[in-house]
Amino acid sequence: MPLTPDRKRQLVTAALVAPAGLWLFVFLVLPFMAMVVFSFGERAPEGGYQAAFTFAQFANLPSRAAAFWNTMMIAPVGAFLCLIVAYPVAYYLAIKSNPKYRLVLVSLVVVPFWTSLLVRTYAWMYILGSRGIPNLLGMIGIEDVRLLNTPGAVLLGIVYGYLPLMIMPIYVSLEKLDRRLLEASADLGAKPVSTFFGITLPLSLPGVMTGVALVTILLLGEYLIPQLLGGGKVFFIGNALVDLFLQSRNWPFGSAIAVTLVVVVVIVLSVAMRVAWKVSGSRQVDLV
Amino acid sequence: MTKWYRENAPITAENLTDEWMRLKRGSVTRRHFLGVTGLGLAAAVLARQPGLFNSAAYAGDLGTTMSLATWPNYHDPATFEAFTAATGVAVEVNVFGSNEEMLAKLQAGGTGWDLFVPTNYTISTYVKLGLIDPLDMSKLPAFSQATESARFTSEGAIDGTTYALPKNWGTTGMAVNTAKIKTKLTSWKDFFEVAMTEADGRAMVHDYQLTTIGNALVSLGYSFNSIKPEELAKAEELLIKVKPHLYGINSDYQPGMRATDAWMTMCWTNDGAQLNRDMPEIAYILGTDGGEIWTDFYAIPKSAANKPAGYALLDYLMTPENAVKEHIANGAPTTDSRVLALLPADVTSNKIVYPDEASLTKLEFGAAVTLTDPARAELMARFKSA
Amino acid sequence: MRALVTFVYLFLYAPIALVVLFSFNAGRSASEFTGFSTMWYGKALGNTFLITALQNSLMIAFTSAVLAAVFGTMAALGMQRLSARGRAIFDGLFAAAIVIPGVVIGIATLVALVEVFSFLNPALASIWPGDKPPQLGLGYGSIIAAHGLFSLALVTMIVKARIASLGRDIVEASSDLYATPFTTFRQIVLPQILPSVLAGFLLAFTFSFDDFIVAFFVAGSKTTLPIYVFASIRRGVTPEINAIATMVLVASLLMILIARVLMRDKTTKAHAGE
Repeated sequence: MPLTPDRKRQLVTAALVAPAGLWLFVFLVLPFMAMVVFSFGERAPEGGYQAAFTFAQFANLPSRAAAFWNTMMIAPVGAFLCLIVAYPVAYYLAIKSNPKYRLVLVSLVVVPFWTSLLVRTYAWMYILGSRGIPNLLGMIGIEDVRLLNTPGAVLLGIVYGYLPLMIMPIYVSLEKLDRRLLEASADLGAKPVSTFFGITLPLSLPGVMTGVALVTILLLGEYLIPQLLGGGKVFFIGNALVDLFLQSRNWPFGSAIAVTLVVVVVIVLSVAMRVAWKVSGSRQVDLV
Repeated sequence: MTKWYRENAPITAENLTDEWMRLKRGSVTRRHFLGVTGLGLAAAVLARQPGLFNSAAYAGDLGTTMSLATWPNYHDPATFEAFTAATGVAVEVNVFGSNEEMLAKLQAGGTGWDLFVPTNYTISTYVKLGLIDPLDMSKLPAFSQATESARFTSEGAIDGTTYALPKNWGTTGMAVNTAKIKTKLTSWKDFFEVAMTEADGRAMVHDYQLTTIGNALVSLGYSFNSIKPEELAKAEELLIKVKPHLYGINSDYQPGMRATDAWMTMCWTNDGAQLNRDMPEIAYILGTDGGEIWTDFYAIPKSAANKPAGYALLDYLMTPENAVKEHIANGAPTTDSRVLALLPADVTSNKIVYPDEASLTKLEFGAAVTLTDPARAELMARFKSA
Repeated sequence: MRALVTFVYLFLYAPIALVVLFSFNAGRSASEFTGFSTMWYGKALGNTFLITALQNSLMIAFTSAVLAAVFGTMAALGMQRLSARGRAIFDGLFAAAIVIPGVVIGIATLVALVEVFSFLNPALASIWPGDKPPQLGLGYGSIIAAHGLFSLALVTMIVKARIASLGRDIVEASSDLYATPFTTFRQIVLPQILPSVLAGFLLAFTFSFDDFIVAFFVAGSKTTLPIYVFASIRRGVTPEINAIATMVLVASLLMILIARVLMRDKTTKAHAGE
């Protein structure tokens, strides 16, 4: 039976999107639904999941309020610190650096991403531990400084781990900036400072917003950095989740927290997008 | 399978020629020949690369790899190297910080462990959940029930069926760096007080509900194993009060203690002995107000992928000549009088490893109910996330 | 400004330098340097478990990235032919796959798969003709699936952005010249989107290769390199880990370099042809 062109076109389209659609359904939609179902269940006596319909898990959420609060405080602060460090670097790379070396310098920002974050974080455990910086401080007479297992160490690890993710979008937005604008501003007698605040900064805001949103959202689910540099004392929701599944074996409660975390991420994201639209005046925000 | 090293007894010249002729005639397999003559062992020692050359010798059905789940700093790495050299089976060692973590992994399925090291009070739960197999004692000829101390080993058997064999017993005390902390600690009450004062920011507790909650309970005058809500509430109050003063919540405290990032910690016998051996200023102290006494066992998960290797390693570890090296390196006291007889005097006279009976009387074995009690699990989680 | 930027680069590279330095340590510890030696490279290459973990990671990263590149490109091409509604659904799902934290993806996959297996395994056993029915469980498949989810979304987003920037007129011109749709795709569209597909593939590969948290939940008995490293940190790291990390770093630098050289070749040729 000959196919009409329309029918054929539909079949081709279906064939193109089917594998991705199936993947999304089986490994995203179904698992998420299972997790929602689990979040209304009960912990089995020896741990795990047992079918039930109860809101007890959600009612118990306040017991992790501290972890939520920690995460909601440290994630934006971490992202902001990242921004403070990243902006000058991105600015230098995009505007001040010698174009001949620009590509190399930009690549150098990305290269650390290619060594395991775990190994690099381990290196920080050494640098911040007694044999590292505190040892050096001891030599100049400042004894018994403790850096490891503090919120400061976690923030440092966050800035270190996420810096490239912040530099790149800002760099991209600054690089697109039309340099003639800067020259015109200077020709019109504007001081460099006012050129920066009047032209450069506003035009780079979409990149800034992208970077901040990206880093904040990734931080909301962070586990490794607080675990390794916080010594089990600085606790994120990610750590609470790992504990619930790998220690106390409370799958339903873990599912309820995971569902809540997704809701939080969606809220943060939509607020960030709204702010970004206002700032950039367009509805185009690149997240990737 | 497990008899290979027995077969490697010295062989006389006549026997060797005899066997050689039989091999040439083809009446014995190469494997038998290598096993009988001891060449297999030599070949295995030479071929450090597992499975490269020696696997054909006798390790055929043992495979080339196996996986062990155990505690941090709990074995002599040389033991596994020797086992690999002898059998061609390389041992992957995974370490965990609590019995809960091991249980969670086994419950989620597919751990790949062929042997693991649960603590006395957890075995009944593993059996109840059908997660471990009864042991086939015929595959463990090196184990000797008669020389085991029943005080420590009774929980390995349930209704007369043996599910687990003892590795060693031990205590949970505190390790204190006396170069940094001048107060003399004698009890868990002292531990929590000093943690908030002299050792502010330098004390560690385990990432493990049994000992962290248990010792807090003891310091308040309650039982180590309490699950009474009002007593747990008091313990939680104490732990939350101490938390801002802690250096860390982590069961792997040796690196922190060695680097002197941490000055004192809850500590198991074996770690206490190891730390004290390398850094004499670190003292190991048992609480006069109580604490834990325990036995760790070896068990084989039902889901083990390579049970023959699990049995082979277990039998290897039960052999006194091998066990004695483990005990010297690891520093935990043995439950087997055959091993005790072989240990050097400086180990058996070490008061950290073999404390006076009087100091043990107040200690309690962990109770099975603490492993699955949801209130204790939640308390620990709230403490960590506070 | 320059000083500040120099400082940031130092900050980025100091820990890496430390990792490389300690890979040449003669002592057992990864924190006290006792002398120069390359023995840990030998040890690392001789460590069955480390090598297995590395092989697993490479295999998983490669498989999930290839699947994501193929299916993601197909989806990006197909999506523009969908109705607005269908496109919105796909867009939403892809965005979700990217922003949902890895720890949640890991948990959801674990929860769902354990449930599915506990239902499928007995069913499989009852209809299996032999006496040893296969046991479905967590392992390579579940890691590839969970990594592939994020990678798929990543590739689709990147390729879609590229397609959107392509002129429609060039495609129309091609069909006006009686080229079949497939010829148009092969000769016009594919060469234009190929760089973005490659970029997506590389990002997906990197993501999977470095991921710890998702694999931590769904790996079952399999060990990936990050899982091995995490276990080693708990066990006390030996310079073996530093050695393998250094080798991976050098290998990836070589890859970047080769990619750059290839791309430069391409772009010069493309410019010459214009």
